Amino acid sequence: MINEHIYRRFNHTVAACFVIYFLFPEYILGIQREYYILIFWIIIVTVEYLRLKQDLKILGMRDYENNRIAGFVWFATGTCLILGLYELDIFPQSLAIATIIMAAFTDPLIGEANKKFGELWGAGLGLVCSFLIYQLIIGVLFYAIIGSIIAIISERPKIKWFDDDLAMQIIPIIVLTILSLMEFSPDLPQEILGGKL
Amino acid sequence: MKITEIYIYLMYLIVIFCIISFISKEQYIIASLLFLGNVLPGYAMATSMMEKNED
Repeated sequence: MINEHIYRRFNHTVAACFVIYFLFPEYILGIQREYYILIFWIIIVTVEYLRLKQDLKILGMRDYENNRIAGFVWFATGTCLILGLYELDIFPQSLAIATIIMAAFTDPLIGEANKKFGELWGAGLGLVCSFLIYQLIIGVLFYAIIGSIIAIISERPKIKWFDDDLAMQIIPIIVLTILSLMEFSPDLPQEILGGKL
Repeated sequence: MKITEIYIYLMYLIVIFCIISFISKEQYIIASLLFLGNVLPGYAMATSMMEKNED
Protein backbone atom coordinates (compact mmCIF):
# COMPACT_ATOMS: atom_id res chain seq x y z
CA MET A 1 0.00 0.00 0.00
CA ILE A 2 1.10 3.54 -0.75
CA ASN A 3 1.66 5.58 2.40
CA GLU A 4 -1.46 7.76 2.36
CA HIS A 5 -0.06 10.32 4.77
CA ILE A 6 2.99 11.00 2.59
CA TYR A 7 0.81 10.91 -0.50
CA ARG A 8 -1.45 13.60 1.00
CA ARG A 9 1.53 15.81 1.89
CA PHE A 10 3.08 15.42 -1.56
CA ASN A 11 -0.23 16.33 -3.20
CA HIS A 12 -0.34 19.46 -1.08
CA THR A 13 3.18 20.66 -1.92
CA VAL A 14 2.76 19.89 -5.64
CA ALA A 15 -0.17 22.32 -5.59
CA ALA A 16 2.43 25.13 -5.54
CA CYS A 17 2.91 24.33 -9.23
CA PHE A 18 -0.40 26.08 -9.93
CA VAL A 19 1.75 29.21 -10.34
CA ILE A 20 2.79 27.85 -13.75
CA TYR A 21 -0.50 29.45 -14.84
CA PHE A 22 1.29 32.81 -14.93
CA LEU A 23 3.60 31.50 -17.66
CA PHE A 24 0.71 30.39 -19.86
CA PRO A 25 -0.01 32.42 -23.00
CA GLU A 26 -3.16 34.53 -23.00
CA TYR A 27 -4.85 32.13 -25.44
CA ILE A 28 -4.51 28.34 -25.37
CA LEU A 29 -6.02 26.48 -28.35
CA GLY A 30 -7.90 29.65 -29.21
CA ILE A 31 -9.56 29.88 -25.79
CA GLN A 32 -8.73 32.58 -23.25
CA ARG A 33 -6.68 31.10 -20.46
CA GLU A 34 -9.07 32.22 -17.70
CA TYR A 35 -11.69 29.78 -19.02
CA TYR A 36 -9.31 26.94 -18.18
CA ILE A 37 -9.52 27.98 -14.51
CA LEU A 38 -13.28 27.48 -14.64
CA ILE A 39 -12.97 24.15 -16.51
CA PHE A 40 -10.41 22.92 -13.98
CA TRP A 41 -12.63 23.92 -11.04
CA ILE A 42 -15.67 22.21 -12.57
CA ILE A 43 -13.62 19.00 -13.01
CA ILE A 44 -12.54 19.15 -9.35
CA VAL A 45 -16.12 19.72 -8.14
CA THR A 46 -17.38 16.87 -10.36
CA VAL A 47 -14.79 14.47 -8.91
CA GLU A 48 -15.80 15.55 -5.42
CA TYR A 49 -19.49 15.08 -6.24
CA LEU A 50 -18.76 11.55 -7.48
CA ARG A 51 -16.74 10.83 -4.35
CA LEU A 52 -19.46 11.99 -1.98
CA LYS A 53 -22.56 10.81 -3.85
CA GLN A 54 -21.39 7.87 -5.97
CA ASP A 55 -18.83 6.50 -3.51
CA LEU A 56 -15.87 7.09 -5.83
CA LYS A 57 -12.73 5.88 -4.05
CA ILE A 58 -9.87 8.38 -3.90
CA LEU A 59 -6.60 7.61 -2.14
CA GLY A 60 -5.43 9.93 0.62
CA MET A 61 -8.78 11.00 2.05
CA ARG A 62 -9.04 11.47 5.81
CA ASP A 63 -11.77 9.62 7.73
CA TYR A 64 -13.60 12.82 8.64
CA GLU A 65 -13.71 13.76 4.93
CA ASN A 66 -16.10 10.88 4.18
CA ASN A 67 -19.12 13.11 4.67
CA ARG A 68 -17.72 16.55 3.98
CA ILE A 69 -15.94 18.46 1.27
CA ALA A 70 -12.33 17.31 1.00
CA GLY A 71 -9.25 19.49 1.45
CA PHE A 72 -8.21 19.30 -2.21
CA VAL A 73 -11.51 20.93 -3.25
CA TRP A 74 -11.01 23.76 -0.78
CA PHE A 75 -7.44 24.31 -1.93
CA ALA A 76 -8.36 24.22 -5.63
CA THR A 77 -11.26 26.61 -4.96
CA GLY A 78 -8.93 29.05 -3.21
CA THR A 79 -6.38 28.90 -6.00
CA CYS A 80 -8.99 29.23 -8.76
CA LEU A 81 -10.48 32.24 -6.94
CA ILE A 82 -7.05 33.87 -6.69
CA LEU A 83 -6.28 33.25 -10.37
CA GLY A 84 -9.74 34.41 -11.44
CA LEU A 85 -9.54 37.59 -9.37
CA TYR A 86 -6.03 38.21 -10.70
CA GLU A 87 -7.46 38.07 -14.23
CA LEU A 88 -10.06 40.63 -13.15
CA ASP A 89 -7.19 42.88 -11.98
CA ILE A 90 -8.31 42.65 -8.35
CA PHE A 91 -5.33 40.78 -6.91
CA PRO A 92 -1.77 41.74 -7.90
CA GLN A 93 0.28 39.00 -9.55
CA SER A 94 3.05 39.18 -6.93
CA LEU A 95 0.60 38.48 -4.09
CA ALA A 96 -1.14 35.73 -6.06
CA ILE A 97 2.13 33.86 -6.70
CA ALA A 98 3.43 34.30 -3.16
CA THR A 99 0.13 33.29 -1.53
CA ILE A 100 -0.38 30.13 -3.60
CA ILE A 101 3.16 28.90 -2.92
CA MET A 102 2.94 29.92 0.75
CA ALA A 103 -0.33 28.02 1.31
CA ALA A 104 0.91 24.93 -0.53
CA PHE A 105 4.04 24.62 1.62
CA THR A 106 3.10 26.13 4.97
CA ASP A 107 -0.03 24.11 5.72
CA PRO A 108 1.66 20.66 5.49
CA LEU A 109 4.69 22.00 7.38
CA ILE A 110 2.42 23.14 10.24
CA GLY A 111 0.69 19.76 10.22
CA GLU A 112 3.97 17.85 10.44
CA ALA A 113 5.45 20.19 13.07
CA ASN A 114 2.28 20.02 15.18
CA LYS A 115 2.50 16.24 15.18
CA LYS A 116 6.22 15.99 15.93
CA PHE A 117 6.98 18.99 18.17
CA GLY A 118 3.63 20.36 19.36
CA GLU A 119 1.35 23.20 18.29
CA LEU A 120 3.61 26.04 19.42
CA TRP A 121 6.43 24.80 17.21
CA GLY A 122 3.91 24.22 14.44
CA ALA A 123 2.78 27.82 14.53
CA GLY A 124 6.38 29.08 14.87
CA LEU A 125 7.76 27.08 11.97
CA GLY A 126 4.72 27.95 9.87
CA LEU A 127 5.31 31.62 10.59
CA VAL A 128 8.97 31.39 9.55
CA CYS A 129 8.10 29.43 6.40
CA SER A 130 5.36 31.79 5.26
CA PHE A 131 7.46 34.85 6.10
CA LEU A 132 10.39 33.55 4.03
CA ILE A 133 8.19 32.75 1.04
CA TYR A 134 6.50 36.17 1.10
CA GLN A 135 9.80 37.96 1.60
CA LEU A 136 11.61 36.03 -1.16
CA ILE A 137 8.84 36.60 -3.70
CA ILE A 138 7.53 40.05 -2.84
CA GLY A 139 10.68 41.45 -1.25
CA VAL A 140 8.90 43.94 1.02
CA LEU A 141 9.26 43.31 4.74
CA PHE A 142 5.95 45.02 5.59
CA TYR A 143 3.89 42.61 3.47
CA ALA A 144 5.98 39.58 4.46
CA ILE A 145 5.43 40.18 8.19
CA ILE A 146 1.71 40.92 7.95
CA GLY A 147 1.05 38.21 5.36
CA SER A 148 2.74 35.50 7.40
CA ILE A 149 0.93 36.47 10.63
CA ILE A 150 -2.45 36.53 8.85
CA ALA A 151 -1.72 33.17 7.21
CA ILE A 152 -0.97 31.49 10.53
CA ILE A 153 -4.03 33.00 12.20
CA SER A 154 -6.18 31.85 9.25
CA GLU A 155 -4.93 28.30 9.64
CA ARG A 156 -5.98 27.96 13.26
CA PRO A 157 -9.79 27.74 13.37
CA LYS A 158 -11.20 24.37 12.32
CA ILE A 159 -14.51 25.22 10.66
CA LYS A 160 -16.38 22.56 8.72
CA TRP A 161 -17.61 24.90 5.98
CA PHE A 162 -14.53 27.09 5.66
CA ASP A 163 -11.46 24.88 5.51
CA ASP A 164 -7.98 26.19 6.32
CA ASP A 165 -6.84 25.25 2.78
CA LEU A 166 -9.14 27.98 1.49
CA ALA A 167 -8.72 30.38 4.41
CA MET A 168 -4.90 30.34 4.20
CA GLN A 169 -5.08 31.60 0.64
CA ILE A 170 -8.04 33.95 0.58
CA ILE A 171 -7.69 35.81 3.89
CA PRO A 172 -4.00 36.81 3.58
CA ILE A 173 -4.33 37.91 -0.06
CA ILE A 174 -7.45 40.00 0.66
CA VAL A 175 -5.81 41.69 3.65
CA LEU A 176 -2.55 42.34 1.78
CA THR A 177 -4.37 43.66 -1.30
CA ILE A 178 -6.40 46.08 0.84
CA LEU A 179 -3.25 47.15 2.69
CA SER A 180 -1.40 47.75 -0.58
CA LEU A 181 -4.10 50.28 -1.52
CA MET A 182 -3.59 52.28 1.68
CA GLU A 183 -1.54 55.44 1.49
CA PHE A 184 0.73 54.54 4.39
CA SER A 185 1.73 51.18 2.89
CA PRO A 186 5.02 50.69 1.04
CA ASP A 187 4.91 50.12 -2.72
CA LEU A 188 4.02 46.59 -3.72
CA PRO A 189 5.64 45.09 -6.84
CA GLN A 190 2.55 44.29 -8.93
CA GLU A 191 3.98 41.99 -11.61
CA ILE A 192 6.84 39.56 -11.10
CA LEU A 193 6.61 37.65 -14.35
CA GLY A 194 6.32 40.63 -16.67
CA GLY A 195 2.55 40.86 -16.81
CA LYS A 196 0.22 38.83 -18.98
CA LEU A 197 2.41 36.97 -21.46
CA MET B 1 -3.87 1.46 -7.52
CA LYS B 2 -2.21 1.55 -10.92
CA ILE B 3 -3.98 4.84 -11.65
CA THR B 4 -2.66 6.28 -8.38
CA GLU B 5 0.88 5.29 -9.33
CA ILE B 6 0.53 6.93 -12.74
CA TYR B 7 -0.85 10.03 -11.01
CA ILE B 8 2.15 10.11 -8.66
CA TYR B 9 4.59 9.88 -11.60
CA LEU B 10 2.60 12.64 -13.27
CA MET B 11 3.07 14.82 -10.19
CA TYR B 12 6.86 14.35 -10.39
CA LEU B 13 6.76 15.33 -14.07
CA ILE B 14 4.66 18.43 -13.30
CA VAL B 15 7.10 19.56 -10.61
CA ILE B 16 10.12 19.03 -12.89
CA PHE B 17 8.38 20.76 -15.80
CA CYS B 18 7.43 23.76 -13.64
CA ILE B 19 10.92 24.12 -12.19
CA ILE B 20 12.49 24.02 -15.66
CA SER B 21 9.90 26.49 -16.99
CA PHE B 22 10.64 29.03 -14.25
CA ILE B 23 14.41 28.58 -14.70
CA SER B 24 14.00 29.21 -18.43
CA LYS B 25 12.21 32.47 -17.58
CA GLU B 26 15.07 33.35 -15.18
CA GLN B 27 12.69 33.17 -12.21
CA TYR B 28 15.24 31.43 -10.01
CA ILE B 29 13.57 32.23 -6.69
CA ILE B 30 10.24 30.66 -7.70
CA ALA B 31 12.04 27.68 -9.26
CA SER B 32 14.11 27.19 -6.09
CA LEU B 33 11.02 27.41 -3.89
CA LEU B 34 9.22 24.81 -6.00
CA PHE B 35 12.25 22.55 -5.75
CA LEU B 36 12.82 23.03 -2.00
CA GLY B 37 9.15 22.65 -1.11
CA ASN B 38 8.72 19.44 -3.07
CA VAL B 39 12.06 17.72 -2.54
CA LEU B 40 11.30 16.32 0.93
CA PRO B 41 7.75 15.05 0.33
CA GLY B 42 8.83 13.86 -3.13
CA TYR B 43 11.73 11.91 -1.64
CA ALA B 44 9.49 10.43 1.07
CA MET B 45 6.93 9.47 -1.57
CA ALA B 46 9.60 7.77 -3.71
CA THR B 47 10.96 5.89 -0.68
CA SER B 48 7.47 4.76 0.27
CA MET B 49 6.81 3.54 -3.27
CA MET B 50 10.12 1.65 -3.40
CA GLU B 51 9.32 -0.05 -0.10
CA LYS B 52 5.90 -0.99 -1.47
CA ASN B 53 7.50 -2.48 -4.60
CA GLU B 54 9.99 -4.50 -2.49
CA ASP B 55 7.07 -5.97 -0.51
